[in-house]
Amino acid sequence: MGAPVARIDGRLKVTGQARYPADTPLHNLAHGVMVTSTIARGRIRSLDTTAAASVPGVLLVLTRDQAQGQLTAPKFGTGGSTSIQPLNEERIWHDGQTVAIVVAETPEVAREAADLVAITYDHDTPSAGFDASGVEIVDGAGASPMYPEDPKAGDFDTAFKAAPVVLDATYNTAAQHHNPMELFSTTAEWNDGQLTVYEPSQFVAGWRAQLAKQLDMDAANIRVVSEYIGGAFGSKGPMTPRTAAVALAAKLVKRPVRCVCARAQGYTTATFRAETRQRIRMGAGRDGKIRAFSHEGWELTSRPDDYVVGGTETTARLYAYGAVHTKVQLVKADRNTPGYMRSPPETPYVFGLECAMDEMAEKLGLDPVEFRRVNDTQADPVSGKRYTSRSLMRCYDEAAAAFGWQRRLDAGVWKTGAMREGDWLVGLGCATAVYPTQVAPCAARVRLTADGKALLQTSAHEIGTGVRTVAAQTAAQALGLSVEDVTVEMGDSALPAGPVAGGSVSTASVCSAVLKACGAIRDKLYRAATVNSGPPATPESFTLRDGMAVLDSGRSAPLSALLQKLGTTQLEEYAEFAPEGSAPGAVEQLRQGNPGIMGGAKGPVLMYAFGAEFVEVRVHARTGEIRVPRMVGAFAAGRIMNPRTARSQLMGGMIWGLGAALHEMTEIDPRHARTVNRDLQDYLLPVNADVEGVEVILVPETDTEVNPAGVKGLGELGNVGTSSAIASAIYHATGRRLRDIPMRLDTLLQLQQT
Amino acid sequence: MPDRSQSAAVNRRHFLAAVGGAAAGGATTLPGTGDAAAAPAAEAAKSSDPRVPHTVTLTINGQDHQLSLDARASLLDTLRDRLGLTGTKKGCDHGQCGACTVLVDGRRELSCLRLAVMAQGRQVTTIEGLAPDPHTLHPMQQAFIDHDAFQCGYCTPGQILSAVACVKEGHAGDDDQIREYMSGNICRCAAYPNIVAAIRQAKTEMGA
Ligand code: FES
Ligand code: FES
Repeated sequence: MGAPVARIDGRLKVTGQARYPADTPLHNLAHGVMVTSTIARGRIRSLDTTAAASVPGVLLVLTRDQAQGQLTAPKFGTGGSTSIQPLNEERIWHDGQTVAIVVAETPEVAREAADLVAITYDHDTPSAGFDASGVEIVDGAGASPMYPEDPKAGDFDTAFKAAPVVLDATYNTAAQHHNPMELFSTTAEWNDGQLTVYEPSQFVAGWRAQLAKQLDMDAANIRVVSEYIGGAFGSKGPMTPRTAAVALAAKLVKRPVRCVCARAQGYTTATFRAETRQRIRMGAGRDGKIRAFSHEGWELTSRPDDYVVGGTETTARLYAYGAVHTKVQLVKADRNTPGYMRSPPETPYVFGLECAMDEMAEKLGLDPVEFRRVNDTQADPVSGKRYTSRSLMRCYDEAAAAFGWQRRLDAGVWKTGAMREGDWLVGLGCATAVYPTQVAPCAARVRLTADGKALLQTSAHEIGTGVRTVAAQTAAQALGLSVEDVTVEMGDSALPAGPVAGGSVSTASVCSAVLKACGAIRDKLYRAATVNSGPPATPESFTLRDGMAVLDSGRSAPLSALLQKLGTTQLEEYAEFAPEGSAPGAVEQLRQGNPGIMGGAKGPVLMYAFGAEFVEVRVHARTGEIRVPRMVGAFAAGRIMNPRTARSQLMGGMIWGLGAALHEMTEIDPRHARTVNRDLQDYLLPVNADVEGVEVILVPETDTEVNPAGVKGLGELGNVGTSSAIASAIYHATGRRLRDIPMRLDTLLQLQQT
Repeated sequence: MPDRSQSAAVNRRHFLAAVGGAAAGGATTLPGTGDAAAAPAAEAAKSSDPRVPHTVTLTINGQDHQLSLDARASLLDTLRDRLGLTGTKKGCDHGQCGACTVLVDGRRELSCLRLAVMAQGRQVTTIEGLAPDPHTLHPMQQAFIDHDAFQCGYCTPGQILSAVACVKEGHAGDDDQIREYMSGNICRCAAYPNIVAAIRQAKTEMGA
C-alpha cells in the first residue's frame, strides 16, 4: 500500500489559487449566454433576434442562420454527447435544447439580451418517458458497440420452473443529474488560426480530436486546457455541442468568449443518468443455491441516439447462478441524450440485483451475508472465465465485524421492526459493491534534472480523485525522490495523451505509464552508474533513494554525478503504455479520440473490484423520515496507491449512494417532457446534515494481472450497492419492501396508510 | 415554464429601473443582514437605465477598488470578472449551493445574491484574503488539508469561509451543530465527514 500523502494540490485548492477553466484570465473577454428551448418536441417557427441585437454591448446573436454549415454534428458514440448539433437544427428534439448563444461585452448585457430573443414554435406532443405513448422500443444488444449482446447461459426457463423457491420482482431507478459543483462552461480563444479552449473536461485528448471534426480543422491547431475540474462524475466525459459552438462564436466576434451555462441549462444541454426499469426473476434450491437468474432492463434514451448502459454485463456474472437470462431494451423518448454517470451500468442494475438477493435470502430464511457466501464464485457463470482476484466475502466479513452485523442476527435475522427505539424504527442492511477493473492507453513524459527534481506530464485529468498526487507519488518512489520534488502537469491536450477520466481507469493507466517512463530513466542511470565502476551491480540491486543512486556493494552516487557522467543536465523519457491485448497504435488511437478502455468482462479473464456495504437506518414511525446514522464499507481494489485519497473517493461514493437511495431524482413533467426540478433547491442532493458516520475499510488485496501498477480503480466502486443496502435496512426497520429509488418519506407515509 | 435564471435577470433589472434602491436592496439582501448598503444602491438607482455604469468603491481583502459597474452586476461576477479574484466560485448563481460564500463584515454571505453596488462600505473577505499573508495558511485552510476535506476543491473556498464564520458564530459546538450549520454549502464530492473533522480541529486552533 502506498503512503497516505496529502494532496499535492491541496494548498492551491484551499487558497483559491487552483485554476478551473472558467477562472482563466483573458484579455478583452466577451461573455456568452445560451438561450434554450421551452418545448421538448416540435420545430422553431420563428426566431427574432432584433430586440436582443439592439441592446448596447451585444456583439453577436449566434443562431442557426449564422452557424449554417460551419459546425459538423458528431456521430454518436465517437466522443460527442449527442449526434445533434442544435445550432444546425430547426427541429427541437428535447426540452432545453440550445437555440441561440448571445455574446456581449458583459455577462449582465448578455443575460438581458438572451431574454429578448423571441422564439415561436410549432409544438408536437412529446413522449416524456417509459409510460408515455409514442415511445419507440429497440433492443439494446447491438445498438452500441459497447453492448454487443445480452449475456446468457444455460436454459433459464426450465431451471426457473423447476426451482422450489422463486422470486419475480420489478425495480425502478430514477433519472439523475451529475450536478458537479462547477457549472459547465466553455471559454474559447483564437490566435492566428490556433484555437485554445478552456473547459472542464474529462478527456482533453479526445476533445481536441472531436473539435477538429466538428470545426473541420487540423487537430494540430487546437489545444484543450482543463487543469483543474470542479467535479465531473461522467458529465464532462463526452464533449457537448456547446464547445464547438462557443469556438465558432469567438471566431465570429474575433474575441475570446466565455460561456457559462446556468445551472438549469446544465440539466438539458449535457448528459444525465436515465431512469431504468428492471424485472428480476430468480429461482433457488432449498440449499440456498441460485439455479436460475433473469435480469431484464429497460433504459430510457433519446430519439436520435442509442445510449446503452447494459448493467447486465456485470450482474450476469456476479454470483454462481446456474442458468442466466438477460435482456436490455432501449425506450426512446423526447429527451436529451443520457450519458455516463458514476458507475453508469452498475449503479442502477446492481441496485435491482442486490434488492432481489435480499428478498431471496428472506424467502430462504438465510442470513443475507451467508446467502452471498453460498453463491460466491471465482468464475463467471456465463463464460466460465475466472476472476483475476475476487475478495467479496473477505469484504463482507471485515465490514460485518466492524459494523456489528451480529446485532441483527441476534435480534432474529428476518424479524422486521424488532429494533425499535422510541419513535425510531431501526434497521440494518447490507449489499455488494462491484465495479469492473479497467485500464486504458496512456502516454507520459518524465524529466529528471540534476537538482534532484522531476517534472511529470500527461494530459490525464485531476477531477478530484487525487490522481495528480498519486502520479507524483509513483514517480517519486520510482526515482528515489520525495513527493515535493515532483511537479505534475495535467489536463492540457498539448501534453502527452492521457486517458479519459472515466471507467475508473486514471490511476491504473497513468501510474502504468509513469512507471514505464521512470523505468527508462532508471535504466540510463544504472548504465551510467556501472560503466567504468568496477564489477557491475545487478540491475535489481540498483536502487534510487533520497536523491542518490545506490549500488548493491554499498557504493552510491548523487544523481547529478550520474547525469554528468552521461554528459547531460537532465534525463527525459517519454513512454506509452497500452493495456495487454490492445490493438497496435493504441496511444495514437487515443489521440484520435478513441479511449481504448480494456478490462472488466471483455478480456480472457474477468477483472473486477468488490466491496460490501452495511448501513443502519432509522425511520421515524410517525413522519416516515429516513436517517442513515451509520455506513460501513469494506473494499478490496488491488494495490492502494494512497489510502487517504482512496478513502475519500470511497466515502464520497457511499454518500453518492445515499443520495441515490433517498434524495436524487430528476422529475420530468409527463405532459410536456420538461425538466421540473432543474436547480439545486429542488433537485435534492445530500448535504452535510444528511451524513453522519461513514467508515471505509481497505481490505488488502494483491493482483498482479490487472495492470503493471496492480491497481483496480475505485472511484466508481463506492456508490454501487449502497442504495440496495439502504433498501434492505428500511425493510428490516419497517417491514416495507421498497423497490423504487429514491425512497422518500412520502413513500413510507403512503405505505403506512395501507 | 419560464427559465429561472432568465426571469431572475429581468426582475432584477425592472426592480432597479422602476423602484427605489431600498426596495431593490431589500429584495436581494439575505434575511437578517440589515441594510447599510441601501444608500449607495439608492444613489445608483437615480439613473433609470441600469446599463449606465455606476462608479463604486469596493473594499475587498482590506484594499479599496474603484470600479465602474453595471448596476446589475453581482458581487460574485465582479470579484471574478473585474477583480480577477477567481477563488470565489459560482455553483448556481441562485443562492442554493454556497460555492460563492464570502465574508461581508465578518458574516458569511452568498456573493451571487448580493449586487456589487450593495457591497460599498462593507469589508469583503474572499478566500484570497483569509490568511494574514501569502505564506501562511489560516488554521481552517490547514485543517482542510490535514483532513482531506475536499476532492475536486471547487466548493472548498466557500466551505472554508463558511466554516470560519460557523466557528465565530458559535455554531461549531458539536458535530451535529457543525453539520446543521454547514448544510448551506453543498459538496458534490461529498467530503462532509472530513469537513466536520477539519472544523473541529480548526475550532480549537482558532481559540473558539
Ligand atoms: S453560486 Fe451563490 S449560492 Fe451558489
Ligand atoms: S470538493 Fe468537490 S464539490 Fe466539494
